[in-house]
Amino acid sequence: MLLLHVVGIAYFTSGFLLTRLMLDDKSVCDAPPTLNTSTTNGIVDILPNWKGKGTVDGGCWHPKTFERAVVVVVDALRYDFTVPVKDDAPFHNAFSFMYDTALASPNNAVLRPFIADPPTSTLQRLKGLTTGTLPTFVDVGNSFAGTAIEEDNLLMQLRDAGKRIVHLGDDTWESLFPGYFQANLSRAYDSFNVWDLHTVDNGVIEHIFPLMKRKGEWDVAIAHLLGVDHAGHRYGPDHPEMAKKLQQMNTFIKDLASNIDDDTLLIVMGDHGMDSKGDHGGESEDEVEAALWMYSPKAVFGRTKPEYVTPPAIAKTRPVNQIDLVPTLALLMGIPIPYNNLGHPIEEAFVGPHGTAWDRLAAAERMAAAGIKRYQTSYFSARGIEQATTPGSPADLWDKAEASVPKDKVKKGHSWEPVFSAYAGYQKETLDYSKSLWARFDVKNMVIGISIMASGVIALLVYINKRTEDDDVLVIEDSELDHAEKSLELQGITADEAQTLEKRLFRAAILGALPGFFGGLLQSYLSGNGDWYRGSSIGAFTSVATVLVALYDAEGAYFNVLPNTLWGWMAVVFTVSQSIGFASNSYTIWEDSIQVFLMTTFGIVTALSAFRMESLPDRYMAIYHSILFVLLGRLASFSKLCREEQMPYCTSTYYASGTSSTSAPWQLVIPFIAVMILPSIIKAYLAPSRSYEGLAPTWIGYVFRAGLFFSAIYWVLDAADNGQWLSSLSSSLSSYLPSSASEALSSLPPLPDKALKTLSVYTAQMILGLALVAGSTAFVWAPPCISIVTTALRRSPADASSNPLAAIPGAQTAQVTVLGYGNAHGARYLLLPLNFFVALSLLTKPMGAGALALTLWQSLSLLEILDLLNLPIGSNPIGPVMLALLGQNAFFKTGHQAVLSSIQWDSAFIPLYSIKYPWSPILVVLNTFAGQILATILVPMLVLWKSGPKRRGILGSVSRALAVFVAFYATEALASMMWAGHLRRHLMLYRVFSPRFMTAAVTLLVVDVVGVLVGLSGVRVNTMSVAEVFGWAD
Amino acid sequence: MPLVDPVTMSSSAIVKGAVAQSASTTKATSGSQGTDSTTTTMSTGASSSLATLRPVHIKQTLAAQTVRHALPAALTALYLLRFDALVADPVPVMRNALPVVAALQMTYALLCLPAAGEPASKSNRKPRPGEKKKGGDIGSSTIITALLASVLTSVVTPFLHFAMALFGAPFLTHGSHTFLCAAHLALLTFFPLFYVHGVDSAAWAAVGGFRAPLDETFGGLVGGLFGAWLGAVPIPLDWDREWQKWPVTILCGIYGGYLLGRILGGTLFWGKRF
Repeated sequence: MLLLHVVGIAYFTSGFLLTRLMLDDKSVCDAPPTLNTSTTNGIVDILPNWKGKGTVDGGCWHPKTFERAVVVVVDALRYDFTVPVKDDAPFHNAFSFMYDTALASPNNAVLRPFIADPPTSTLQRLKGLTTGTLPTFVDVGNSFAGTAIEEDNLLMQLRDAGKRIVHLGDDTWESLFPGYFQANLSRAYDSFNVWDLHTVDNGVIEHIFPLMKRKGEWDVAIAHLLGVDHAGHRYGPDHPEMAKKLQQMNTFIKDLASNIDDDTLLIVMGDHGMDSKGDHGGESEDEVEAALWMYSPKAVFGRTKPEYVTPPAIAKTRPVNQIDLVPTLALLMGIPIPYNNLGHPIEEAFVGPHGTAWDRLAAAERMAAAGIKRYQTSYFSARGIEQATTPGSPADLWDKAEASVPKDKVKKGHSWEPVFSAYAGYQKETLDYSKSLWARFDVKNMVIGISIMASGVIALLVYINKRTEDDDVLVIEDSELDHAEKSLELQGITADEAQTLEKRLFRAAILGALPGFFGGLLQSYLSGNGDWYRGSSIGAFTSVATVLVALYDAEGAYFNVLPNTLWGWMAVVFTVSQSIGFASNSYTIWEDSIQVFLMTTFGIVTALSAFRMESLPDRYMAIYHSILFVLLGRLASFSKLCREEQMPYCTSTYYASGTSSTSAPWQLVIPFIAVMILPSIIKAYLAPSRSYEGLAPTWIGYVFRAGLFFSAIYWVLDAADNGQWLSSLSSSLSSYLPSSASEALSSLPPLPDKALKTLSVYTAQMILGLALVAGSTAFVWAPPCISIVTTALRRSPADASSNPLAAIPGAQTAQVTVLGYGNAHGARYLLLPLNFFVALSLLTKPMGAGALALTLWQSLSLLEILDLLNLPIGSNPIGPVMLALLGQNAFFKTGHQAVLSSIQWDSAFIPLYSIKYPWSPILVVLNTFAGQILATILVPMLVLWKSGPKRRGILGSVSRALAVFVAFYATEALASMMWAGHLRRHLMLYRVFSPRFMTAAVTLLVVDVVGVLVGLSGVRVNTMSVAEVFGWAD
Repeated sequence: MPLVDPVTMSSSAIVKGAVAQSASTTKATSGSQGTDSTTTTMSTGASSSLATLRPVHIKQTLAAQTVRHALPAALTALYLLRFDALVADPVPVMRNALPVVAALQMTYALLCLPAAGEPASKSNRKPRPGEKKKGGDIGSSTIITALLASVLTSVVTPFLHFAMALFGAPFLTHGSHTFLCAAHLALLTFFPLFYVHGVDSAAWAAVGGFRAPLDETFGGLVGGLFGAWLGAVPIPLDWDREWQKWPVTILCGIYGGYLLGRILGGTLFWGKRF
């Protein structure tokens, strides 16, 4: 099943996620891309040699124009904000400086529309703006930490050329280009606090003007202002705040322009636009239309036609592609164009003040085109694809363009305009071709992936049904024939059959997969298309088919997927309604609230159905646990992290504030509360069945508590380290203490810088070791949580097992009481989830630890509810489905959302100093999916809770419960996959549907792995241990 | 205090329930998964206690029958008329509508429903020619029952408010929105039930377990609750419509569900059980 999911997901992914092979090649200063073509075609360079050619000082590939550059990114600066529009909208006519200068002094300033390639999120845009390539969702070759750009890009070229780069503003730059910036001059500000309109902007403005006076200390300054974007997100463009913000930008750019000297180029641009609500991310016109303004006090810019002096009134006329900035800036600064660039130079920057320097323009265009040609050649050879040479194809256009360049000595007055047009035509055709290549979904692979997943879900459902019948049989026989010796044999046979069902299925799956796999391999080998996973897909299909056949064979086909009880219907409605909800971006965005809604529904329904119980104590207990379940769920829902789309209706509480990713001091108290009450709560759940015996008091009361305590300590240490509490403490101490004491204090050696980090890392490693290594060992060797009280004569446990009730009055000799008999399986197994709980609560932030504790508590209540309402797992899917919902809910409550940006990368460093494979990825997975992992490990509890050692066919029941549990996640994954595939042209694809699909897919895999490795093996160990004491049940 | 529970009804139910309870507890203590045996005892016990809870008949008087058909129409009309105003500013509209709805429900209860403590058979019986006047009589006891029911309704409102908060309603903000919405829900669905059943614990246990027979009152409750539940569905959608604001859709679901449940419960599904 796991393999099946892997294959299905892999197949869909291969068709769905737009991938682009990343080439590591870099452009070099003294090796322009025209080098080879010039010699083979015998073409001389268009420009005569200039002084310092091939060096950074003179200009590597083109004569250098500027010494320094100031690049100002005004996030979400839509084009119509910058040009005059005849209406009173607050966002129009507020930022007029750039338009006015472009009109008044066209040789100093240029304003043009600046078209972004979707997705229009800042991160993807910055990649495009620095590498010059088209963004894809996942660039193959991304490393674990994910964000740093490794491709050849402008900043890399600048750095390699010895330029000093300063960065101010949005900290996305810091994560994309770690270590590139001058640390003493750069200032990074948090990117995602949408509510704060001013901190970033004021910080940039404060620091950039001093920078203009210290010209000797930097070469390139990048300033990224976020106020306009945040005003858009918070208020939308149609708001007075937006007008104020744009006016502020107007003043700022005006002041900045007056501070620029002749050798400096000033570029102001928007990285994307915003839609009518002020959001962005999609590919609508308003979102892709940004503005670009280039300015220099030196007369540099020209127009090829006089009417081009007036900036276009709307963004549809004469737009510039955003990637065009890359070759333009590179050539103006005299550095090589990045290797992967697909853009071409902006003509205004090269055609000269009089608009007649066609030779320079043609040379720049040819240089860029040759770079594109070189990139295309190596890309196609790396991918192993032939380039087409038909008329009109890029290759054909290239040859024509090369032919248009005069071979011999260039005559004076030669018209270079057609040469420029020929190369421009080549660039445009190549770009279109690349777009179609990288923006194409492989529908066939997507369909295959979806059908593999669908058949997997069907097989699971059939299996669940099958087991339901078996379990019903088991339960009936169990109760009826408990005391009859003869029927016990019969029972044993049934149990054996049930046990072997899985084995048969497993064998069938393998048997089916092998010929299919090899057949597929053979086929792909023969056809020679090298598509290795074609084989695995056929293998998956045949495997499912044989499993279905085996199920059909096992016992007459009785196929009834529709449930027949209220609870069954609830399970189906919960699963299906969520799956349908993934078709809508709103429901996907608000999934966390919907989880709470569904859980509350369950709690209320169980409370109501408790009214049907006749026994009053049971009724009140059931109502109590139901209401507790609901209350805890609602309480946990106060811990949340909002995704960007939920603004402004949502307030994040997971961190100290929306801006930080650290915990507030009051949140540090939460783990300590958990330390105090959680063990007692667990004890309270165990005590009624007298299972708080044996190892349980020691383990839960001391080891578990200690583990929780140390993880709480860890977070205090971490906060102290982050907040530099120690240094502030000692300074405040010295101000209070008399001078002699403070002198003594200062004479003490200061704590080494890393002391706290060292201490916290040791703490974390100790907890993990305690929880996972020592915990698992203890779990394997632990006896059941029972104790045997004998009052006269000592009896062996084996004797006790023959007496199913807690106490047997011995005839005249002795009385033996087995405490915790009724919950022998459940109480012991509980130790395993508890161990994992300690590890998981260490790896989540303090708020998340609280949420996880509530989840654990809720799960225990759920167990009680199911037990009281008599909803055995054998016939009811509601238990595993609710547990799955709980797990999913905990995912949201531990500060995650189905978006990439919510991954808490810093959790990789909790017990480590640096990234270590494979531990770091495992830690991040444990942090991200803590909720689901905890729920998965708790699944066997549904079967084991309150079941005595005589329970038969436990492994079978557990695997059925797991199957239901996995089916929930598989359905979600399937649904999100289908919708993502179906809505692949949707505006919100990259923001909502893709991340949701990826979350569901990874969750499913994690649940599969944990379920099989931890769940089933844990149950196995557990059963063996119980059986050792009580004798084998079957 | 004329409001007396139908003693015979509740006491018999308790006795039988107790018998069934003892039977099932003996089974349960055996520690086995005795599903089949437990459920059989439970069902017999349940049916015996439920048999006594009869679906409510609407009084057969002319006034009662007229009111019975007119009031749903009046509620619908009220809702539709005030809808635009409700969307514009929910709180004052809900507050002002509350007395009107209360008056309508009061009329409905007094004229159409048998009050708690009133022998159910009285209204069941076809009125004899000479009794006609008496059937339509609204005695002081019924008025007191109605007043008491309204007190109970106001008592239950905070609990409904809390339950809505549990379902994810704003907890710290929009207090008056949620409270008024809960008040409407209580007035529509719980008031008739309080009027009919009083504080009869057995009847309320049956209602709570959703095993009371369907009639206009219980049907209204089921419909109202289910409508309120479904009313939450359109809220998250990003259609940017004014009517998506809290708690317009919930109120819409409550009214729609209540009216539908009341009409269907009184006609098509009358006497049926879940």
